Amino acid sequence: MELLQKLRRYYPGSRKKGGSRKKGSSNYAYTTTRVRAMKVHLFPKETYPRLMNMDLNEMTRFIQESKYKDAIDEMARNYKGVDLIENALNRNLAVTFTKLIDISEGELNLLISEQLKEYDIWNIKTILRGKYCNASTEEIMEAIVAAGSMHYTEFAELASKDTYQEVISELVESEYYPILEQYTGDNLDDIENQLDKKYYADLFDVIGLAKSKDRKLFANFTRTGIDVKNLMTLFRLKKSGMTDPEYMDLMIDGGSQMTLVDIERMLDLPFEEFIAELENYPCWDEISDVVSSDMESLSIVESRLKKYRLKSAISSSRFYPLSIVPIMDYMLSKKNEVNNLRIIIRGKAANLGDDFIREQLVI
Amino acid sequence: MGVKDVTPTRSELIELKKKIKLSQGGHKLLKMKRDGLILEFFEILSKARDVRSELDVAYEEASKKIGIANAVDGVISVKSTAFSLKGTPEVELESRNIMGVVVPKIESSSVKKSIDERGYGVLGTSSYIDESADAYEILVENIILAAEIETTMKKLLDDIEKTKRRVNALEFKVIPELEEAMAFIRLRLEEMERENTFRLKRIKG
Repeated sequence: MELLQKLRRYYPGSRKKGGSRKKGSSNYAYTTTRVRAMKVHLFPKETYPRLMNMDLNEMTRFIQESKYKDAIDEMARNYKGVDLIENALNRNLAVTFTKLIDISEGELNLLISEQLKEYDIWNIKTILRGKYCNASTEEIMEAIVAAGSMHYTEFAELASKDTYQEVISELVESEYYPILEQYTGDNLDDIENQLDKKYYADLFDVIGLAKSKDRKLFANFTRTGIDVKNLMTLFRLKKSGMTDPEYMDLMIDGGSQMTLVDIERMLDLPFEEFIAELENYPCWDEISDVVSSDMESLSIVESRLKKYRLKSAISSSRFYPLSIVPIMDYMLSKKNEVNNLRIIIRGKAANLGDDFIREQLVI
Repeated sequence: MGVKDVTPTRSELIELKKKIKLSQGGHKLLKMKRDGLILEFFEILSKARDVRSELDVAYEEASKKIGIANAVDGVISVKSTAFSLKGTPEVELESRNIMGVVVPKIESSSVKKSIDERGYGVLGTSSYIDESADAYEILVENIILAAEIETTMKKLLDDIEKTKRRVNALEFKVIPELEEAMAFIRLRLEEMERENTFRLKRIKG
């Protein structure tokens, strides 16, 4: 299987610099089989309560003896302690996700690559932010997770540029250039928002008009993600007292439950009425006990909404075994595993209470 | 001033009387200044206690929030977002006068920012990052306030110490020495007068 993977990786047309995709028909059967095998290696849900009872050293040893060993050995030269674990988790995530891009073909490859472009966008944003505050190449590269279509070496090349202008001119061939060329040196937040909106717009382009049930599920998952994103943006804006209609620019079109018109109406409402309005949406059951007009922190609401999104996605993966759904399910589960491990380790290191850590975990 | 160095003359006595009067006046004024500074100090001390405890709370809160953001979003995420902040808070330094002690008055601006002014995109970040940034902005504001109050307190303490030393020097060294010298001159002048009287009586006799 390893040999086959290597052959496929070096087969002409595999993931190349700049994120070009493999053409041809999709290999759903092969990819989903590989993914099923990979899924077996995910930690079972019983692992997290066990980890919660361990101290930091025990947790580190547990993770070092697991499938993350290679990543830990690789990163041990540059990091130690909790930083080593976090970087190793990210490294493993990047290797796993790029493997999915490598083994998939055709339309499936396109869907996976598009889904993972959020990492490319994140890394480009990090490089621009780094250039903005004159961070060193090493500092910038420490914050890069090359889990998308673009290679780590490409990001290293971009990060080594002296100015943001050079970074942008290096990306002249990329799909992000029309947005990046609007960067003037002081509108980074606007550029970041545009890149994030482009991610969702491109994802919808790829999904197209979903006809099959599995594709509909994928589309619904994306739409639910947009609903959650918009809702969190609404919460954050309202908490900061920003209710001007101009902030509608921060909303993403395409949600399944909330249209832009609904959001515009809710943006204008006082906080109490906004909360009352949320009772009409399906996510209310998940957040009803933590939302109140005098709440101080949004962290619990955000974690509950994340759980709501994952619950809605993972439940139906087994019904469409040869589709994007089990692959998406695996991607979510893998990302969730990395997030959970990081939350436990970092949470313990920062002396956050066990109850708080448990609340943040998505099991 | 040692007693031996004093010339026992009437003019010296008058000079010493003037010096004693001046020293006593200065002593009284310095004592009043010391007491005033101590009163001012205690007033600022209670403020400083409040500010320090607020600072401790703000620090705890900021550490907790950054701990949460590091755990939930990851250190990489927090670090990357932090890159987008370039501006540093501007601090304007003025001074004011408390009983002759020049203390700083720090005016800060642009510490507290709304989420669209911080430099990072709202869509690519989370409420964990917002709350960490909020907590650190409050911490920086508290640090600036604490810096003003604690510097004032330090300067007042230095001045109280200095004034106390002066008061003590006047009370226990300068004035007693002057009074001793005055007593010596008086004694010497009386002695000289008695000698003169005796001499005159001997000449008469």
